[in-house]
Parts: sequence; structure tokens; C-alpha cells
Amino acid sequence: MKYRNKVKAFLKKPQNVILLSLAFILVYLTVVPMITIILDTFTVHQSELMRVKGSKVGDLTLYHWGKVLFSSSSKKIFYEPFLNTLIVSLGTCFVAIGLGGLVAWLVTRTNIRFKGIISTLFIFPYIMPSWTLAMAWLNFFKNSRVGGAPGIFTALFGIETADWFAYGPFPIIVVLGLHYAPFAYILIGGILRNMDANLEEAALILKASRGKIMRKITIPIVLPAILSTFLLVFSSAMSAFAVPAFLGTSVRYQVLTTQMFRTLNGLNPGYGYIMALLMIGIGILILGVNQKIIGTRKSFTTITGKSSNIAYINLRNFKIPISVALIVFIGMVCILPLVTFAIESFIMEPGNYSWSNFTTLFWVGEGNPQIANGEPGILRNPTIFNGLWNSIRLSISVAFIAGSVGILAGYAIVKKKGTRLSTMVNNLAFFPYLMPSMAFGAIYLSMFAIKRGFIPSLYGSFALLVLVGAVKYLPFASRASVGAMHQLSNEIEEAGTIQGIGWTKRMLRIIIPIQKSSFISGYLLPFISSMRELSLFILLVTPSTRILTTMLFQYNEKGWSQYANAINLLIVLFVVGSSLIVNRVTGASIDKGIGGH
Amino acid sequence: MPEIRLKNLTKRFGKTIAVDNLDLVIQEGEFVTLLGPSGCGKTTTLRMIAGLETPSEGEIYIDETCVFSSEEGIDISPDKRNVGFLFQNYALWPHMTVYKNISFGLENLKWDKKKIKIRVEELLNMLRIAEYGDRYPSELSGGQQQRVAIARTLATGPKILFMDEPLSNLDAKLRMEMRTELKRLHMETDSTFVYVTHDQLEAMTLSTKICLLDEGLLQQFAPPLDIYHNPSNHFVADFVGSPNINILEARGNNVNLDEIKLDSGSLEFLFAPTTSSVNIRSNQKLLLGIRPEDIEITDKGDIQGKVYSTLPSGMETIVKIDVNNIILTCVVFGGVDFEMGTNVKIAFKSENNVLFDRVSKLNIASGRLM
Ligand SMILES: Nc1ncnc2c1ncn2[C@@H]1O[C@H](COP(=O)(O)OP(=O)(O)O)[C@@H](O)[C@H]1O
Ligand SMILES: [Mg+2]
Repeated sequence: MKYRNKVKAFLKKPQNVILLSLAFILVYLTVVPMITIILDTFTVHQSELMRVKGSKVGDLTLYHWGKVLFSSSSKKIFYEPFLNTLIVSLGTCFVAIGLGGLVAWLVTRTNIRFKGIISTLFIFPYIMPSWTLAMAWLNFFKNSRVGGAPGIFTALFGIETADWFAYGPFPIIVVLGLHYAPFAYILIGGILRNMDANLEEAALILKASRGKIMRKITIPIVLPAILSTFLLVFSSAMSAFAVPAFLGTSVRYQVLTTQMFRTLNGLNPGYGYIMALLMIGIGILILGVNQKIIGTRKSFTTITGKSSNIAYINLRNFKIPISVALIVFIGMVCILPLVTFAIESFIMEPGNYSWSNFTTLFWVGEGNPQIANGEPGILRNPTIFNGLWNSIRLSISVAFIAGSVGILAGYAIVKKKGTRLSTMVNNLAFFPYLMPSMAFGAIYLSMFAIKRGFIPSLYGSFALLVLVGAVKYLPFASRASVGAMHQLSNEIEEAGTIQGIGWTKRMLRIIIPIQKSSFISGYLLPFISSMRELSLFILLVTPSTRILTTMLFQYNEKGWSQYANAINLLIVLFVVGSSLIVNRVTGASIDKGIGGH
Repeated sequence: MPEIRLKNLTKRFGKTIAVDNLDLVIQEGEFVTLLGPSGCGKTTTLRMIAGLETPSEGEIYIDETCVFSSEEGIDISPDKRNVGFLFQNYALWPHMTVYKNISFGLENLKWDKKKIKIRVEELLNMLRIAEYGDRYPSELSGGQQQRVAIARTLATGPKILFMDEPLSNLDAKLRMEMRTELKRLHMETDSTFVYVTHDQLEAMTLSTKICLLDEGLLQQFAPPLDIYHNPSNHFVADFVGSPNINILEARGNNVNLDEIKLDSGSLEFLFAPTTSSVNIRSNQKLLLGIRPEDIEITDKGDIQGKVYSTLPSGMETIVKIDVNNIILTCVVFGGVDFEMGTNVKIAFKSENNVLFDRVSKLNIASGRLM
């Protein structure tokens, strides 16, 4: 009896119900796939029958592990791509943290000009699909040896670019670094903004040099933000597919994801799952190290005090040169790519930038049987419109589900802070972030291809895309919401409870309105992310559920780069436009979604 | 020898003027308090002297050396001004232990390890935080953090020490204790203290001189008791003293050679200046300030009133008395209490009542009331 009452009392609190339900659902949607992946690495798949001699589909086997890790071909299959992945991910972190941290420091601590424009534009590379910059890089720097036609740079200056500069690890690192630099900017900038400038001034008065203040005070204090950036950027870079695919494939520079695409899409899914598993392992390892470092005694709680009058460091004579250089740089990264897409989408024969070669065929042409199988220009192409429509409704559905579940998760996690259930749900909600998108897609494909319990077979359905997107982007929403709830004092809700206001009304009338912009940010990020996501969906789409990004990839693979460029321009304008509008109208922003302040 | 000299010091933030044309001379060894309501420019003044904020105009001299001059374009950086600064929120470095926090400044001076150790331990003992050397700031209470901040500031032995509301984050009891210690510290270190607070009691009890500011403008710069008894204007009189000074609106006329007849509607007084004699216009609008402790409840009094409320605290009782619909506050020392509503008689006992002009708010005279 006593026991039953206890259970009853427990279930009376909405936060307990939310946590319990989320725990069940998330275990099913994240841990089960994880276990499936593990099992899959020991299982014979249909396409592997030929290799694993004398086996049936579903048999247990050590063949994959042996082949990937301990065979004569494992160097080519696994170790080389693995090493490349590590190089690319570390390089990306280095570029992103260095660049983003520097800009954050300049904007928050010095008297640099154009702060408003810089902080708006600097976020752009993250809003834009990651391959945008990769394509721009190719448009600019491709050479005729590898790329077929010369890029704009060669056309302008007559200098043939070197292979290492145009393709492979160098451009991949630069492009991914630029793409994720806003992470560092937002997270480090957030701490710098909240960090009491007195901490640095105290050191200055005690006669520490500027360099020493940087090394001994500023950097150690923003270390948690740097680590957190490192975690996010490393995991993202590791599971990035589009950029290495665009910039590495033509010179056979393979990383784990591109290798995974070949194996999952081709003959050896078992190999692919092993790679996915190892990548998840690395992600969890970094997460663990990260939490260990942040959770030490050197608590950083004191840094969130109100920052009193900050005196900006005077850049003196460098002020104008640095400001201008930064603006020009940001302009090149944000605006120039769009210009190249526009140009590339208007030329008939790639590489020939003379006026007579310009055409509007790929935008509004009816389709010429001699070119690209008579595909009509994208503005009168029903398949493109279908793709656009699919992309939009997919992104809206994903944002709606991830955002709403994220709010509930954040609410319950913070309410029950410190309990085991809360910690578990918090980690479960972050877990999808560590799953490489493509493997996540692959596993959902195999998990939901058949009817499971009350869930019908979702193979080829739109619902499957929505499901995988919602789970994958839940981490953004729950982070935003946990952050928002942390800032909200418990008493605000209690004041409502005491007056007898029911839970739903408390949520809708008190809590959500107060932190509206943070919560909306929790919707915004999943929306933008699914709008420009490729690798998560690439294995799941069927002709009827094709979305813009997968179409772009297909056009690019077929070598119809004009269409690809045109679609790219369309996506970028749409994503940037919608995020700016949401930001203006609601005050929600990418910063808040990522966890900045 | 003057230690710090400010000349026409002005600081503007956009349109707001935080500090307005401030002239100040602080002598060696003084304990000067910058006092004033929140937002009056105290912190800004302090930060300008320390070099953390660049003044818009003016000159600053420390130890006869010009450290800032807008005209000559001199701006010596904070680390070259040889001052110590205690921040309002302590600004302890969260990632360093107490020991490291204190030794940081000494390391910058390239002291050798052994000497640093001796000095840090000396400070830890002096401030009674010896057992916390290995802790991080987040593991200390507010009072302990404050001691660490003081130790860090004192470590390098600066001759001039700036403190920005160092006690404002402490609870009342601890604040009381720390006041005593600060005063002792001032004596022991033989340094010049410039101390910022918005708490008039703190300023009164600690300083050798108070610099009272309002909206960036200097109101009065004088020893505490001068400020208390001879406030230069109505603002100063009102700002210092707790409970607040009684202010009565009145009209005045010169009578009998050098006395002033005051008429505040329901009450009439004769004011005899104890300073020099004053001439006022006939029927000049005035304000009369009477300190609460200068009103005596006594049967010998000739003004009839009624007890409106009492606030006994044990050591003293604050009594509000209704005299013809004017409420006067007075303080009775000792553990006495009064029944509310009883009739009492009051008398004015001191020579320190002050007369202000109602328009300019300036002090006209001090004197006796009859
Ligand atoms: N960095 C700043 N930017 C703009 N205004 C400031 C800044 N610092 C101070 N002020 C303004 O200057 C005035 C004086 O501030 P401050 O010296 O901090 O006051 P106090 O320390 O006496 O409370 C206030 O009106 C404040 O708003
Ligand atoms: Mg202040």
C-alpha cells in the first residue's frame, strides 16, 4: 500500500512522467540502435553472402572485425581513413577554435570597429550548409588536371593551383574549420562576455604583461568553453561527410565517413557499422574527458558574476587595419561563395568565363536533350519544387518535434537536477550528437525497414526522415532548453503552483513566455540543420521523398555542376533568410541554440 | 607631500557625465573615502586613478608624477602606477589556489621562490587564512574570499591602495568585523587608502576624510565630523547620518541684530548663528536641518508634541513626534520607550542646526534654536 502511494505520488509530478517517458523513448531510439550497430558488426548481411563463405544472412561472424582491423587490406579499408579522420578533425578544431576564439576576443575585449556586422556575419558559415564553402573552394581553386575545368582563380590569374591546395586534407580542414568557427565564437565569446573583466585588470595591476594575462588568466578561464567547443567540433568534423566527399574523393583522400558511405551503400555494411561504432566510441571518450576536466574543483562558477564596466583594450594604430582585414575576410567567406554559385550556375561550358558562354538555361531553360539529359532549368523543374517542398516540410516537422520534446526535456532535467534519472536523460538526449549522421541514418533504415511492435514498416516513408531528424537534432533543442531553464528561478513556477495554476497552464503561460527566445532557438537550430543536412538523409531518401540536398549531391555526382550550384544558392538563401527572419521577429538566435549567452 | 592629485578630472560615457570636473588632493597616509549614492561616479573615479579607465579630460598626479594628462597625451598604464586595487567582487582567479592567487603578483616582480613563499605565508597568517592556502576560491566563504583578495592586493606592498566597496558583499556582522580590521590594516601598512562605499556609516567610521559625490560632482571634501556637523549643502546633510536629519521648510527674516526669525507655518523659531552673522532677504525661503540627536524629550521643553511612533533598539530609541502635523525624528539614548499617542515636550539642545537656502540648497549658517 505504502509502495503504491509512493508510486502514485511520484507519477503525480509532471517532470517525473516526462523523464520516465523520455528515458524509455530515448533508450529505444538511441541505445537500441547502438546495440543494433554492435550486433550488425557481427552479422552476415545479404550483400556479404559471397564473401563470408558458407553462411546465411543473419549468421554471427567475426569476419568484419577481422577484415577491418587485422587483415592485409585493413590499412586501406580502415587505418588510413581513420588516420585521415583524426588529422582532419584535429585540424578542424585547431582552425575553428583559433579563428573563432580570436574573433570572440577581438569583439568582446577590444575596441575593434564594426562589431555589429562582424558578429552577425561571422555566424553565417555555420548557417550555410558545410559543403557550400567546399563547393565555393572548388569553383575557385579547382584545376584542370583533377577537376576537368579550371576554376575562377585560374581563369583570372592564369595560375594553375596545386593539387594539395585544391583538394585533400588542406582544403577540407580549412573549410570545416571555417564552418565550425562560429561554434567557438559563440561559446568562447559567451564566456568572455560574462567573464568579469576585473579578473584581467587585477592581473594587470599586479604587473602581469598582456601576454601573461592571456596565458595565465584569460585562456584558463575560457578553457571550459574551449573544451566544449572541442567536443562539439571534433564530433561534427569526424562525422562530416559532404565536405570530404566534395574535396577529397577526386584525389582518393578517404576519411571514415566517405569510406562508410561506400561500404554502407555498397557491398559491406558490416565494415561501415564497425567504423560507425569506433567513431561513436571516440565521441564518448571525448565527452567523458570533457566532463572530467570541467567537473574538477576549479569551479568556474564565480565567473558568471555581472561584468562591471569593461574597459576595451585599445588597439591604437592597429584598430583600423585589423577591423578592415576582418571585415574583408568575413566578406570573402560569407559573400563570395554565393557569388561563385551564381556565376557557375549561369555558364554553359564549365571553366569558360567569357560573356558569350553565359546562359540562363540552368535556371529557366526548358531543357535541352543534349545537355544533362534534357533536365529543365531549376525554376521550371517540378522535381526541384517537389524537393524544395519536401525539404521544407521535413525541416518544419523535425524542428517541431525536436524543439517541443527539447523544451519538455530541459524542463524536467533541470527540475530534477542531480537525480540519476535526470542525468541519464540529459546524457541520452545528447547522445545522438555523437552518432555519425550517416551511420545513424543507416541504422534507422535497417531498424525500421520492418514492422516493429506497433510501429509499421517505415521504409521509404517520409515519417522515417522526420524521426531520424528529430532524434539527431534533439541535442540542440535540449541544450538550449536546459540553458534557458537554468536561468529561470524555481520560485517563478512555484508562485504559479501556489495559486493553484495547473501544470499545462504554468508551462504555456509562465515558463515558455519568459524564456521564449531561448526556446525558439531550440526550434531554429534543428530547422536550419535539417534544411541543409545531407549525410543523415542520404541513405534514407527514395525518389518520392527526395529533398534538395540529396538532389544537389546527385547532380554533383553526375557532373551537372551548374544545377548543383543553382540549388546550392537556393538552399543558402532560404536558410539564411529564414534564420534572419526568425531572429528579427522572435529574438531567437543560433547563439542561444548552441549554448552561448 | 600629496600622494594623489586630480585636476579637472572628467569622464564622459557617451552623453552621460560620470565624473564632472573633479579636483582632489589626497595626502600621504590618509584614508579617504569616496562616498555617494549608486551611480554617482565613485568606481569610475577610482578606476581612472588606477589607470583602468581613460579619463575624457584632466590630469592625474601620483607621487608628484604626472600619470595622466589629456592635454599632453600622457597615459601611464596601470602596471606602472604602483598601486593596489581591491575589486568589489574580489576578482579572485577561479582556476588558481589561494596560494597561487596571492603569489601571482610577486612572481611578476621576479621574486625568487623562497622569498615568495615566506611572504605569502606571512600574509596568510596576517589575514588568518593560513589553512586555506590550497583551496580554490569557490571553496571559500564570502568573508574568506575577501581576505584572500586583500592578501593578494597587499602582497606586493603597494604604497597606495584602492578599494571598491570591498565590504558590500558581506553580511552585517562580518562587515562590522572587517571594518575594524581595515582600520588596523591602514595603520599597520602605513599606506594611503582610497576607499569607495555608498554606506555613509562605513565612510564616517573609517575615513580620515570623506569625498562626497553626487551625479559626478564633488559635494564636499572634509573630515567625517565636519561633514556631519557642517554639511556644505542640503544633499550632504541628508546623505550622512542615520536616522536622517530633520528638514523643515521655513521662511526667514533678520531680526535683533544677527538673529533670524524662522516661520515654518505651524512652528516658529529664533535662529542664532554661531558661525558669522548672516544677512538674508526678507521672507527668504529656507530649509532648517536638525539632527535627531539634537532634539531632546524633556519636561522642560517648550514645544508640545505627541508620540507618533517609536523604534526601540536597546541602545537607543528612535522616536517620531508629531508637532502640529510636522513629524520630527529624535533619538533617545538608552533603553527607554514611549507609549504611542502620549503627549511630550521637546527642546533643541545643540548649536549645530543648519540653515540652507531652499533654492541653491547651500549652507547659510549653523546655529542655536531658541
Ligand atoms: N563602461 C561604462 N559605459 C557606460 N556608462 C558607464 C560605464 N561605467 C560607468 N558608467 C556610468 O557612469 C556613471 C557612474 O558609474 P560608477 O562610477 O560605476 O558609479 P558608482 O561606482 O558610484 O556606483 C553611471 O551612470 C554609470 O551608468
Ligand atoms: Mg561602483
